[in-house]
Amino acid sequence: MLAPITYIQPLTTLRRTRQLPVEGLITVSLGDRLRGTDVIARTGLHKQHIMLDAARALGAPASRVSKLIQRVVGEEVEEGAILAGSRGLASRQLRAPAAGKIAAISEGQILLQISDASAQVQARVPGLVIDIDPGQSVTLECICAWVQCLWGNDLVGEGNLHMVADGPQHQLTADQIDMSLRGAILVAGHCSQRQALELAGQVPIRGLILGSLATRLLPVAEKMEYPIAVLEGFGKIPFNGDAFKLLSMHNGAATTLNAQANNPHSGERPEIIIPLTDAGHPPQPVEIQSFRIGQTVRVLSGKYKGQLGEIIELRGNVIYESQLRGPAAELTLAGGGRGRVPLANLELLG
Amino acid sequence: MSEGRPQSSNSLVAIDLGSVNTRAQFFDAVEGRYRFIAAGEAATTAGAPTFDTNHGVLQALAQLQEITGRQLLNERGLLLTPDAEGNAGANALTATFSAGPPLRVITVGLLEGVSLHSVNNLVDSFHCEIVDSLSLGDRRSPEQVIDAISQNLPDLVVLAGGTHRGASLSVVRLANYLALALKLLPESARPPILFVGNENLQSEIDALLAPITKVYKAANIRPSLDQENLGPAEAAMSSLLYEVQAKKLGGLHLLNQLSETRLSHSAQAFGRTVRFLSTVIDAPKGMLGVDLGASTTTVASAFAGELEVRSFPGLGMGRGLTGMLAETQLQQITRWLSYDIPDEFVLDYLYNKPLLPATLPSTPHELAIEMAAARQVVRLAIGKSLPMFPANAIYPLTGTVPWFDRILVAGSTLTRQPRPEHSLLAVLDAVQPVGVVTVILDQNNLASSLGAAAAVDPVLAVQVLESNAFMNLGTVIVPVGSPRPGSTVLRVQLVRDGQKEEVVEIPEGGITVLPLAPGKAADLFVQPLQNMNIGLGAGRGGWIRRMVGGTFGLIFDTRGRPIQMPTSFNKRQELLQTWEHALTGGG
Repeated sequence: MLAPITYIQPLTTLRRTRQLPVEGLITVSLGDRLRGTDVIARTGLHKQHIMLDAARALGAPASRVSKLIQRVVGEEVEEGAILAGSRGLASRQLRAPAAGKIAAISEGQILLQISDASAQVQARVPGLVIDIDPGQSVTLECICAWVQCLWGNDLVGEGNLHMVADGPQHQLTADQIDMSLRGAILVAGHCSQRQALELAGQVPIRGLILGSLATRLLPVAEKMEYPIAVLEGFGKIPFNGDAFKLLSMHNGAATTLNAQANNPHSGERPEIIIPLTDAGHPPQPVEIQSFRIGQTVRVLSGKYKGQLGEIIELRGNVIYESQLRGPAAELTLAGGGRGRVPLANLELLG
Repeated sequence: MSEGRPQSSNSLVAIDLGSVNTRAQFFDAVEGRYRFIAAGEAATTAGAPTFDTNHGVLQALAQLQEITGRQLLNERGLLLTPDAEGNAGANALTATFSAGPPLRVITVGLLEGVSLHSVNNLVDSFHCEIVDSLSLGDRRSPEQVIDAISQNLPDLVVLAGGTHRGASLSVVRLANYLALALKLLPESARPPILFVGNENLQSEIDALLAPITKVYKAANIRPSLDQENLGPAEAAMSSLLYEVQAKKLGGLHLLNQLSETRLSHSAQAFGRTVRFLSTVIDAPKGMLGVDLGASTTTVASAFAGELEVRSFPGLGMGRGLTGMLAETQLQQITRWLSYDIPDEFVLDYLYNKPLLPATLPSTPHELAIEMAAARQVVRLAIGKSLPMFPANAIYPLTGTVPWFDRILVAGSTLTRQPRPEHSLLAVLDAVQPVGVVTVILDQNNLASSLGAAAAVDPVLAVQVLESNAFMNLGTVIVPVGSPRPGSTVLRVQLVRDGQKEEVVEIPEGGITVLPLAPGKAADLFVQPLQNMNIGLGAGRGGWIRRMVGGTFGLIFDTRGRPIQMPTSFNKRQELLQTWEHALTGGG
């Protein structure tokens, strides 16, 4: 069975290909070194338009009006410019109601683009541009420490990492947040206080990394204007020890928090990236692994949820406590003792 | 009973690519009849890190090979040529899929209640999400409509409108909006268009739209105001669904090349099985199918072979829980819990599950939460499907499902329960059927595969459906009306092997079981009291001939419709346990 993996890597080479949602204009060049918040491309997805009915304006049938349109697609026009009409003293004319660009013409109708506000695509990951597929994608490479999370509110931010948590069981409260944290990316344990999230936004901080979040605060976290990423999930779950140690080691380091939404189809997950310089060229993470005896795993669900353990035995078909049947692993739990967990409820820590 | 001899041991491997699990199922002839032999299962590998569905397919096949001891794989992959002795390989492969995100579709029709309604019906029966709809009645300005079309980045646009020799100018006007909108997108991002409107306009639509994008055509889905003709459009949609998904799901194309027929979506294949089963049911009763998947729930109904399918991509037991939670109050889930579980724990579990859809309930509390959530997911899907059930079916009570003769239940949350009484209760609580209905469990997840296999070898599909690969949980008799609490609502008498048994009084407000061994037949005389209706009309009773026993015999569900649950936890717990004990014969 292929094992799902959550990566907690002290040193790795991360490669990310940022695919544009539609063909667009790439605004970076090979060899550029980017920050996560830098714009790498623009697409024309969010332009505003005005539709002008030339046939009606000129009182001509649609079949004949194309000959009377004096502009072509892509042409820039000033406000009041003649778009269509016939010559002569008594002729009728269609003028541009605003400055813009002719976006499309079809069956006597002209679509005038009046806003140049185009959708911007952010790098989301810091690093060196190592490949560009013109109009389509940009590939970045970053030598870094890297931690994957489970949930994010789809924003991205950069700042210096600041450990608010004093241990994996930490709980974030509003009294721990003050103006000295302005511009930082905070690392905290569990948050069940709405006030803490709101106060962090007022400071403002550049990002918040949580071990876990109270489920009832999910709508609040979704609305915050700074990136929030959750490592373990919803409910009171302690920060996993490996990730906590790694982030503690980098307290104060420049960090990108890419809190993008978890997308199972594209494989995108929220992530914490701490760029490292003078670290050589470490290997890329191993992507495909099966469960094996001796591996360290994390329990995703059930009574050992959030705990780390080592696989000491793999069993084919056992009855779980719920009475369901399936393959399972016997674990030596990091917190002490042993436990039997369905394989479906385990992931590897890469 | 279907007759027919399997053609010289024509073995078949069926692959079902689900959003979470991939299954490989093996069918072969045993003593002259086709049987389901075994299944292997692995995680679906459509997403990261492999982005290749065939990884999961090969793993599922490897497990199947291990279980059956039959060589199905060689160094080049699936062995599709059996050896001379017929002990290795398979003769054919079929495949169905429900993996991948739903298609983002924009629907366009002239009138909201006519052609747009039909287009939406068509699209709703596939694995699609309607991201926007446009009709002449749209109150947005033309430029708002155009911007919405281009910004939604649809995978497909379905355009209808105009009855046969009917409106044309308005259809062309809508098509022109589409043309303008699509011109705003780069060529590579322009979705194909399926035109299913007035056939006289096909050349005009081609002239307008074909220079911009690919245009597909099928017969008018609304040839007249009172006639809907979805058949040809369904075939075109099925083909387009595969083509679009094959570009997104790695490995799908290869699987299609190996398959005897074009890959079909699981919902359509499931529907074909439901339609087949309906053909042996006397009209006006029908057949209902419910497939509760991880991302999508499918509801299919068929009356005398007339099939309707609704696919709900936002409702399911994995990622689909998000859709359920968005339109549910917590109490609608917790009312089905017989454990005293804090609301916070229930919420935590249900909000984590969409992020970790492959996880399994490992404790009794988690299993109870999943079963409670499953009831609500199916309840929502059934509620949304009510408009598709035919008006001329039998409705003993308004606002409920019509009288179905059988309910086929699929989806591992419901079918792989450690105790079948939990499956039966969940189905009864969720669907809340009326009349006299037999509940059949697709315990091996075969329904979709058999729908696809029927195209290759109908005899195989029929013989496996008639085998014990499916579990008959029992026949349920559900009277509806307004009885006095605690009073007798039915008098029934069973006639077994020609012997009349004692008259049994069935009380209001619970579940009562009369034992009837699986496969054994008996006649039942039912006399409703207090004007209760079991589907034969208020107060009308009579003989129900040749009732066949299932796991739980004959079940009388007199809990009323809709089922009302007490607000007090203690009373609720007592009630839920009483119903469960009624099925198992416990105290």
